[in-house]
Amino acid sequence: MKYLPLVFRNLLRNKLRSLLTGGAIGLAMLLVCFFLTMPGGIDRLLSEISSNVRVSVHNKGGVVYDMPYAYVQRVRSIPGVAAVNGEVWFGGAFEEEAMVTFPSFALDPDAVQAMWPDYKIEPVALEKFRRQRDAAIVGRETMKKYGWRIGQQVSLVSTVWPVTLTFRIVGEIPNDRAPHFWMQREYLAQAMQALDRDLDTVGTIWVRVDDPAMVPSVMARAVEMFRNSPAEVTAETEKSFFASFFGSLQAFVQIILVVTALVALCVLCIAANTASMAVRERSREIAVLRAIGFSRGIIFGTLVAESMVLATVAGGTGALLTYGFSAMIRMLAGGSMGSNELGPLTGFLVTPGIVAQGIGLSIVVGLIAGIAPAWGAARRPVAEILREVF
Amino acid sequence: MPEPLISLRDVSRVYRRGADEVHALEHVSLTVESGLFVALMGPSGSGKSTLLNLLSGIDRPSGGDVVVAGKRLNDLSEDELAHWRSRHIGLIFQFYNLIPVLSALENVELPLLLTSFDRRERLARARTALDVVGLGARARHVPSELSGGEQQRVAIARAIVTDPDLIIADEPTGDLDAKNADQILRMLLELSHELQKTVVMVTHDPRASEWVDLVFHLEKGILKETFAGAAGKDHVEPREPSAGTRA
Repeated sequence: MKYLPLVFRNLLRNKLRSLLTGGAIGLAMLLVCFFLTMPGGIDRLLSEISSNVRVSVHNKGGVVYDMPYAYVQRVRSIPGVAAVNGEVWFGGAFEEEAMVTFPSFALDPDAVQAMWPDYKIEPVALEKFRRQRDAAIVGRETMKKYGWRIGQQVSLVSTVWPVTLTFRIVGEIPNDRAPHFWMQREYLAQAMQALDRDLDTVGTIWVRVDDPAMVPSVMARAVEMFRNSPAEVTAETEKSFFASFFGSLQAFVQIILVVTALVALCVLCIAANTASMAVRERSREIAVLRAIGFSRGIIFGTLVAESMVLATVAGGTGALLTYGFSAMIRMLAGGSMGSNELGPLTGFLVTPGIVAQGIGLSIVVGLIAGIAPAWGAARRPVAEILREVF
Repeated sequence: MPEPLISLRDVSRVYRRGADEVHALEHVSLTVESGLFVALMGPSGSGKSTLLNLLSGIDRPSGGDVVVAGKRLNDLSEDELAHWRSRHIGLIFQFYNLIPVLSALENVELPLLLTSFDRRERLARARTALDVVGLGARARHVPSELSGGEQQRVAIARAIVTDPDLIIADEPTGDLDAKNADQILRMLLELSHELQKTVVMVTHDPRASEWVDLVFHLEKGILKETFAGAAGKDHVEPREPSAGTRA
């Protein structure tokens, strides 16, 4: 502890350099901590939009392959199943020229409430959805994105089916992160009949189970039921289904984490360079300290401490600033500034654990950055250094 | 008869420079009693600084024995030598070599960090040392705010603050004008004669012999001559190089 004043004085010797190096470390730690929130954020997002009693049954070859519509009735017969609803991917695009699609599905309006009671859709809206053939229920995120309102008529161009359908929005899914657009299966079926084509397939069969304990057995029975059929199926929990669905996002997060690691490595090099310059500039002083009796251990320790104090203070500040940075992101994503473009980022919360990881990483960066130059200064015989510098 | 503070017996120092060997010191033997002010003189490359490094435990000899303050230094490790220097040696350099970011008081306190004194005791001793060199009023000034002579006096305070047995000064007046040089020499003489400190100084300054008790003259690594300085004429007799010294 008695050497700490010496450490601090040396750190403040070249204030601009310390400030710039500290700034680089702090900024990097802010980014590292923010990106470290991503895995947890995705998990939270999946947990939020998933239920532990819902199961997805879809073609074993992937969700892009259909199954016969008759499968819906057969799945309903499995013991423990409370509700079933078959979805058909409509692939609707609102702005035809942009051809940007969002999750639009044709499904059975009578089984919506039984399948998704946790969505808390208003009964009036559900009733209209059942009774009006062109009715649509839309997630709040999509409503906000296009500035739609309940009662409005909208036309969607299907990128899957050769139709353009006009809908009247009768209600919304009251969740800021719900992008869905639901329409009646019968509406799409009639449009296809007009083109002399039948709608006799289903993309995903959603199953709601009475008891979470029965989920594994229901999934096993569904898979077994269609084994060796022309369209074998696979079953997975809703969380697993969405995790697969967001697989590309997770790969993106992994890339971000790799980039983050590279950023940390760059910062390590910057800190090591700063430490090296500090040692090189002070070789005469270090020689004097060695000559008056400072041991190699003390010289090594004080030089490493310099690097560690700088990295810890700067990195710790950066890590703590992540709280403010993530709050700003949340505000930009859904707050008073109104943009919802950042969607899932709003779920990426900074935790004390993440900040602790950032501070820990800063300490390690400082330690590693300081070791090589400090060792170089400490290991050389004092007579050799004195001959060089005097 | 008390043991001499410094005793060198047949000391040589050879450096390797690539494939060549440089004989910086050859078979030097000498003794110095406690309380003397001694000058090492000679032309550049004569081995003065090498001898100083050996006396202060900064370097180790290639041959012979170096005994200072009753300790044989030949076999001590780097860290043991560092510890020994912190207890027994005070160093003064030509260019002062104060730490520029520390005040005069903190510079003087530096060697005391290696002791077990608490901060209060360290600062009290550092202030006393600064008072001895007449710079008590300049304790809070950093080196850049002090003149060359003042910086060298701070360096002297740093050298004496641990109450060492031996003060080693490497051309302490080399960077000073005549007036400041005289002040520094007088201070070293007082340290030697009034506080009974042994001071060994390397110098090129021919006037230095007026201040010291004893002069060792080296040439090409060999101790050529030993004679009394003006300050010590009363009690040190001129003599030829000792038996172990090749002239």
